[in-house]
Amino acid sequence: MGKPADLVQGTLDFLILKAIALEPRHGWAIAKRIQQMSGDVLQVPQGSLYPALYRLERQGWVTATVGEADNGRTVKFYALTRAGRTHLRHEVASWDRLSSAIDQVIRATS
Amino acid sequence: MTLIRWWHILRARLRSVTHRGRDAAQWDADFEFHLDAHADELIRAGVSPDEAKRRARAAFGSQASVTESYRDLARVPVVETAWRDLRYAARGLRRSPGVAATAVFTLALCLGATLAVFAMVDAVLLRPLPFPAPDRLVTMFNTYPRAGVTRDESSITNYYERRGQIAAFRDLSIYQEWPATTGDASSTAREPVMHVSPDFFATLGVTLPAGRPFLEQETLPGADRVAILTDRAWRERFDADPNILGRPIRIDSVSRTIVGVLPPTFRFLSSQAELYVPLASELSRRAPAERHSGSAATMIARLAPGVSIEDAQAQVDARNAAVELVAPYPRAPQMNDAGFRTIVRPLRADHVSSVRPILLLLQTGVGLLLIIGVVNLTNLLLVRSSGRIKEFATRRALGASSRQLVGQVLAEMLLLAVCAGAVGTALGMAGVRLLAFVSADRLPLGASLSFDGRTAALGFAAALAIGAAMAATVAAFLLRSGPGHRLGDTSRSHTSGREAQRLSHVFVVLQVALSFVLLVSAGLLSVSLNRALAVAPGFRVDHVLTGRVSLAGTTHAGAAGELAFINRLTDDLSSRPGVDAVGVTTKLPLTGDIKSAVTVKDYVLPAGESLHGSYTYGIRGDYFKAMQIELREGRTLTPDDSRDRLRVCVVDEDFARRYWPGQHAIDQWLFNGSRVQTDDQAFRVVGVVAPVRQSGITADERQGAVYFPFPNAPDNTFFVVAHTNVAPESFVTTFQRTVRAIDPEVPVSDVQTMNARVADDLFLRRSPALLAVAFAGVALLLTAVGTYGVVSAAVARQRREIGVRMALGASPAQIGQQFLWLGLRLVGIGALAGAVGAQLSGVALRNLLFGVAAFDPETVAATTVVMALVATTACALPAVRAARIPPTEVLAEE
Repeated sequence: MGKPADLVQGTLDFLILKAIALEPRHGWAIAKRIQQMSGDVLQVPQGSLYPALYRLERQGWVTATVGEADNGRTVKFYALTRAGRTHLRHEVASWDRLSSAIDQVIRATS
Repeated sequence: MTLIRWWHILRARLRSVTHRGRDAAQWDADFEFHLDAHADELIRAGVSPDEAKRRARAAFGSQASVTESYRDLARVPVVETAWRDLRYAARGLRRSPGVAATAVFTLALCLGATLAVFAMVDAVLLRPLPFPAPDRLVTMFNTYPRAGVTRDESSITNYYERRGQIAAFRDLSIYQEWPATTGDASSTAREPVMHVSPDFFATLGVTLPAGRPFLEQETLPGADRVAILTDRAWRERFDADPNILGRPIRIDSVSRTIVGVLPPTFRFLSSQAELYVPLASELSRRAPAERHSGSAATMIARLAPGVSIEDAQAQVDARNAAVELVAPYPRAPQMNDAGFRTIVRPLRADHVSSVRPILLLLQTGVGLLLIIGVVNLTNLLLVRSSGRIKEFATRRALGASSRQLVGQVLAEMLLLAVCAGAVGTALGMAGVRLLAFVSADRLPLGASLSFDGRTAALGFAAALAIGAAMAATVAAFLLRSGPGHRLGDTSRSHTSGREAQRLSHVFVVLQVALSFVLLVSAGLLSVSLNRALAVAPGFRVDHVLTGRVSLAGTTHAGAAGELAFINRLTDDLSSRPGVDAVGVTTKLPLTGDIKSAVTVKDYVLPAGESLHGSYTYGIRGDYFKAMQIELREGRTLTPDDSRDRLRVCVVDEDFARRYWPGQHAIDQWLFNGSRVQTDDQAFRVVGVVAPVRQSGITADERQGAVYFPFPNAPDNTFFVVAHTNVAPESFVTTFQRTVRAIDPEVPVSDVQTMNARVADDLFLRRSPALLAVAFAGVALLLTAVGTYGVVSAAVARQRREIGVRMALGASPAQIGQQFLWLGLRLVGIGALAGAVGAQLSGVALRNLLFGVAAFDPETVAATTVVMALVATTACALPAVRAARIPPTEVLAEE
């Protein structure tokens, strides 16, 4: 496994929202999920994960509830709010536009 | 943004403030879990447990920095900072409870007093009358200034000649309040009853929720047996009977039919009347000959839309001239000579005009007190915070921003202000209760005095504004101390300190000046009160009991019945133990208002003079003896004088001097009325008595009075005056019982000692004087504390310097003098400024003063002495402390 790629600036929030789109997860599970979804290419900088979660909570995209983890310890689970889900949809759409645009630029020069 | 999202955001933010402890713990648990989970994963991959833990931690980054970044995020800027600042402020105040308590109490006291007085100003001067468009309501009255009659209200004729005839008025009506006996036949309860013209309620803009207003045909005697109840009377006397209309009510032994009920909010000026009846009048009373029979009723009107009061005045003047052309008044030229005019005035302003200057005076006084309090407090905090310059400099050096420092000062001041606001509002509320209790009956519109939410809100707003102002002053000064400034300074005497010092000196001067003004004003009012109390009213004040008896509607009505009743009553009362003399009069001194025309036989008006109103009395029994009104010449009236053929009267010296200057008044002739009548109607003057104060203790009007025998100037309502040799209060029951023994149906009311009546008369002089003295006392105390604080601070600041100077040979006396001089110089400058201010305030007070000039050197001198004594004490205490500073100790402190 090579050095994991740094996250593109500003995409962490978006990836977190994506990671909990299916079900509420706690912080560690979110980090693992992103890593897993990216085929171990993306590694979440753990120091920024929790501040990001807090930011998202404060922005109203996610809501945190205290729940029980697999090993019985209580941790915070993060879930998408309805607004967060809509926000995610917009983010996905704009990401699609952006990435395809970047794609075009890259291909055009070759 | 959706509402739901707002809700999530709000919840998250609030949680971060309110659940900080719990939240932080959960975060730590989350971090712990995260680290353990990562370590477990590594262990499963074959890493040793210790190494796994180390790597997990490294990957996570420094926990502290994560926590810190979370904390930063968790901070909801305003709420969070404010919360922290407030807690910090509370801690700071708890550390110096003395300062905090002093500050809160000072501010609360000043604020409470201001609020209480404001509530009074609000009730009397500001709050609109409870009618639609109340500022369109006016009143008008007749005046004959050159006859000495400044206000004669309106005649019935005025009303009938004006209503519907003056375009400036949409509605015009008259009313008259008169006491009456109400209730069932045996009742002797007296209460005011309002007699109103049919358009009275329409003028006010009041519609009756039940029933109807009075009708035009109900204004003739006999056809007027209807009544309208206030909501209160309906609820309390008829248990809110839904079928009230058509039920009877007895007023002065006449049964009237209830035709309407007024809305609950109805309150007409200061009237306490609960029953309204039509103002009925014979057609003869509406004739031109009665045009100037004023005092009959009070006129009110509602201005037509767009009409100014000046327009209305012009139209009233024009109407007065017009009616004179159509139907001349018999003695119109005399009325014109007397300067007759009808004055239109705004209803409310007119109603409260007597107390307006007093209330404004009190509001100004208490406002000054508040300023003194705030200045004092700011000064105290300034002095205190100059001790904190080092703390602030340190914190700024460590990176605290100006905003943070200001925020903290603001929090501290606001906390103080809010506490003071709460205490002050409570004090204000108590003050209003007290004022309401004392003045509800004596203050126009006093019954509406209440402490409402508006006043409370105003109190809090004022408290916050004061807090902000104090914070601004203190913060501005602290910020100017500059960043990274004087960390090494060990003493407190540096440039910014000197600036603060100068500011606090200015504050002391300001306080002294304002206190000086308050003291002089309070002094002037007190001197006025004393001069008023020293006035000899011309009659005996102590040991005199008075009470009103009404024979209206009783079996004693009519000339013969009244006289028989009076004779019996005076005889019975005189025979009671403890009674020295008993008399009856149709009018008491001090009550003023009703002046009637008296015409002197063979008297030729000097050019430029006009008819003169005089006070006329109908008296019986030992009135002069009971009142101890001194006989100067001739004799007093006797019961024999009541016979028709012996028409005699007694005049007072003022009257005699006006009409027969340099001559004997005895055996002169006069007529009761405004014209010369036949000789058999004339009264012969048989005695001259000393003048009494007719319309108030302080009203030295020299208007003249004529005393007729009761049968010649009768009234079915009269006052009994009893001079007792026991305490007159103890005679009240005997008096009432004696009347009841003659006839239980005769009502007695308004039983008061003459002392109480005089006190009532001086109420508007005494209360402001007492309040002003109280304000001035508090102001003086605050100023003393303020001066003391500033000089003390100066001593503390220069402790080291004092030590050095004393070590170098300065004597304790020199040191002490230096500080005493510092304080006295400030007080001196303040007093000088105050003396100038006092001159101005004296002029403003002029109309409230009695027997003392606006600038009274004695009062100013006395104030200066008091101020000097207090100031010297306030400065001497810290000065003595400075002189006692042991130099060796101070130098050793270094």
